[in-house]
Amino acid sequence: MTKRWLPWSAMALLVVGSLAIAGADGGGERTVAGRVDAIAAEVRCPTCEGLSVAESESAASRTIRDDIRRRVEAGESDGEIRAYLVSRFGKDILLRPEATGVSGLVWALPVVVGVFALAGLVVAFRRSRARTAVELSDDDRVLVEQARRGR
Amino acid sequence: MTATVPPTGRRRGHTARWVAVAVGLIIALFVGVLATRSPAIDTEADTPLLGRQAPPIEGPGLDGGTVRLADHRGKFVLINFFNSWCVPCREEHPELVKFAARHAATGDAVVLGVIRDDTPDEVRRYRTEHGGDWPVVDDPRGVVALDYGVRGQPETFIVAPDGTIVARYISRITADGVDETLRRYRGSGA
Repeated sequence: MTKRWLPWSAMALLVVGSLAIAGADGGGERTVAGRVDAIAAEVRCPTCEGLSVAESESAASRTIRDDIRRRVEAGESDGEIRAYLVSRFGKDILLRPEATGVSGLVWALPVVVGVFALAGLVVAFRRSRARTAVELSDDDRVLVEQARRGR
Repeated sequence: MTATVPPTGRRRGHTARWVAVAVGLIIALFVGVLATRSPAIDTEADTPLLGRQAPPIEGPGLDGGTVRLADHRGKFVLINFFNSWCVPCREEHPELVKFAARHAATGDAVVLGVIRDDTPDEVRRYRTEHGGDWPVVDDPRGVVALDYGVRGQPETFIVAPDGTIVARYISRITADGVDETLRRYRGSGA
């Protein structure tokens, strides 16, 4: 029984570990330039289509990058800087929806669907394993033989 | 028992022709609607700043002095983000002149221009040719535009006498359209 669960436990550990590493923000000391780049990459250029402020060279994007740098140097947190931009332009200035309120569903729904899909797979595997072998009667054998001859 | 007769080549050709004509008509109709509709004017848009205190504006004016939004407290202020080269800004300019003249006598509303992606020299030249004597502030680093969440030009905000933002326009405005908004605001008892 323990041996059967070993691969599943290992897989679960691998998935959780990967998600934790991917979700971590790098940790340790972050440089001013690194923080400016990271925040700018999440902010939509207000005057161009489909570009972040980090990618765009428009005047508005340059102004926002300068403002982010000034705020980082003034000691504001990433969240405070994002909140300032949202307070001026609205939520759609952020390329990644916030993980709160209704927009949080964007993040929560895939996880919920993933959990249900995994549970469905487990149930399906269990059922297929629990299905007992069917015993063939003599009549069944005769029927199969007749069908073969009739080909 | 009936047999299904496959469509002949001629019948298939007719169907294709009718489909092509229908698609052509739909495209022509679409182009016609787009080409003949009137350009956007007095288009109001939402902003997180609605109902909040207008961010302060202070900077160099065209005449060398300092322009401050706070100096106009007690009046409606039409903050107009513009430049001399954008076509809708040029189309809008006579309406701003009309609005400023209409309210010069009553003194209840003023226009305050903010230069966006342009030079004071170009704006001075433009105003000499086309009129306009309201205060204009230079915003070379776009800091004022950022504080107001401006995305393009022309863009106009109406600030009430108590300093709160009551409207934002993301198209060219008309003097009548803005006056209608002022009437609506006054009528609301705010």
